[in-house]
Amino acid sequence: MSGRWSSIASQMDRLYEFDREPVSPDKLQSGGKFAGLFAGEHVAATEFVIGAFFVLHGVTARDLFVGLLIGNLLAVLSWTFICAPIAIRTRLTLYWYLRKIAGPGLTIIYNLANAILYCILAGAMIAVSATAVGLAFRIKTPALNAVFPGSIGWVLLTIVIGGLFTTLAILGFEKLSRFAEVCSPWILIVFIAGALAVLPRLGVTANFRNFWEIATTRIWNGIPVAGQDRFSLWQVMFFAWFCNLAMHIGLSDLAIFRYARRWTYGLYTAFGMYPGHMLAWICSGIMVAAVGREMNPGLMAYEALGLAGVAGLLLAGWTTANPTLYRAGLALQTITPNWPRWKVTLAAGAITTGLSCFPVFFVKLLDYVAIYGLVLMPMGAIVFAENWIFPCLKLEQYSAEKRGWAFNWIALGVWVGTLVVCFLMPIHLYFRWLPGYFIALISYILLSLGRKR
Amino acid sequence: MAKKWPPALSIISLAACLAAPVLHFLGKLSSESYKLVFLAASIGWFVFATLWARRK
Repeated sequence: MSGRWSSIASQMDRLYEFDREPVSPDKLQSGGKFAGLFAGEHVAATEFVIGAFFVLHGVTARDLFVGLLIGNLLAVLSWTFICAPIAIRTRLTLYWYLRKIAGPGLTIIYNLANAILYCILAGAMIAVSATAVGLAFRIKTPALNAVFPGSIGWVLLTIVIGGLFTTLAILGFEKLSRFAEVCSPWILIVFIAGALAVLPRLGVTANFRNFWEIATTRIWNGIPVAGQDRFSLWQVMFFAWFCNLAMHIGLSDLAIFRYARRWTYGLYTAFGMYPGHMLAWICSGIMVAAVGREMNPGLMAYEALGLAGVAGLLLAGWTTANPTLYRAGLALQTITPNWPRWKVTLAAGAITTGLSCFPVFFVKLLDYVAIYGLVLMPMGAIVFAENWIFPCLKLEQYSAEKRGWAFNWIALGVWVGTLVVCFLMPIHLYFRWLPGYFIALISYILLSLGRKR
Repeated sequence: MAKKWPPALSIISLAACLAAPVLHFLGKLSSESYKLVFLAASIGWFVFATLWARRK
């Protein structure tokens, strides 16, 4: 390993030292803890945008309900049958497991890619929160085709909110995480309350009998707004499935499931998926229909819930941007040796705040979520192959660790090659990851077989 | 006994957060009243749930 890579790798190892060893049996957690964790983690500010975008993309009510039911089920099954069994078997985080497979050099690159993607995600959350504060200052929410900031007001607003979120993250990440636990049940209530409150405005009667008629004609009526392509059942289903692709198929949640007693604990993710990625999306769809299909989360929340809605949107943005900033900081720390925690959080916050000024990440959030999962997915396929398929084919596992490689060049080639092929695929962005996963899996096995011979 | 108050009051506050929009939907509460009740119940939730979380 060259000196530079070796130095960065040892720096990174020190950061993750606390979880280097497999989890011991006395540290395993109960199923209830997993249910609580997932229930709190999947109701974020971005839910205000995602559910609303389905309405703007002209999804029909039937496609939405069926697509979300099946897509979220597929996500739960991906956690249960792909992520949790590997976590139970290894009891390691993805960082340490990937290091054995891909080598420390490639793990650094993967971590940096992750850091950039985290910063963009946190930036989108800041932008969503900015729409709430912007109402008070009459700052116009960016148009659906906006790429660059449309006004100096928007730039100042995102900088102030980004600066505030970063300062709070520097002052005490752990205390804020505990406060986020207090926020999460209330944020789910904000979604439900907001949707219920605007139903009469849409014409739903108190006995609820005409709900389906209103849902199919005034909310999810199958007519996209100008400039948006129409989504079918397939897009909704795939979106619900890949929304957390990096976590289940991409195996980031090895970090969580290594504390599970059994692989069946993957089923507890349903406590996050169905309230957060089904109920909250349905509720935000109802809210956007009530404001005349205008993509303005701040306006949606204010119209539905008043000041509490604005607070809810800000808190939802902040509580989810906070851990995202932390993770980005942790990943960035690998290239900033000897920097204290506050400095690296400041750097991550500055990058995030800069990105949040560009509305493209917020108005194209659905596409960004697809790209985020797609970029990290091939590594999940590589780890899956090493864990389950290599022993069956009598291929050597963990070659990078055993031979002291900084880079597993086959893994790097498969990662880059899969992304290039996915980029060129003539199908909708949302569907590309699935063939991409099999391309990564098969090509990694074949190339490893070739190396053996 | 005092230990039981924060959990009980926080659950009551959260229930009030949910009850307010239901009553508004049923036409029993005006839009302004519902938003005020929701805001007050939300403040209640944050006060009592924070106390509850500190004691855990």
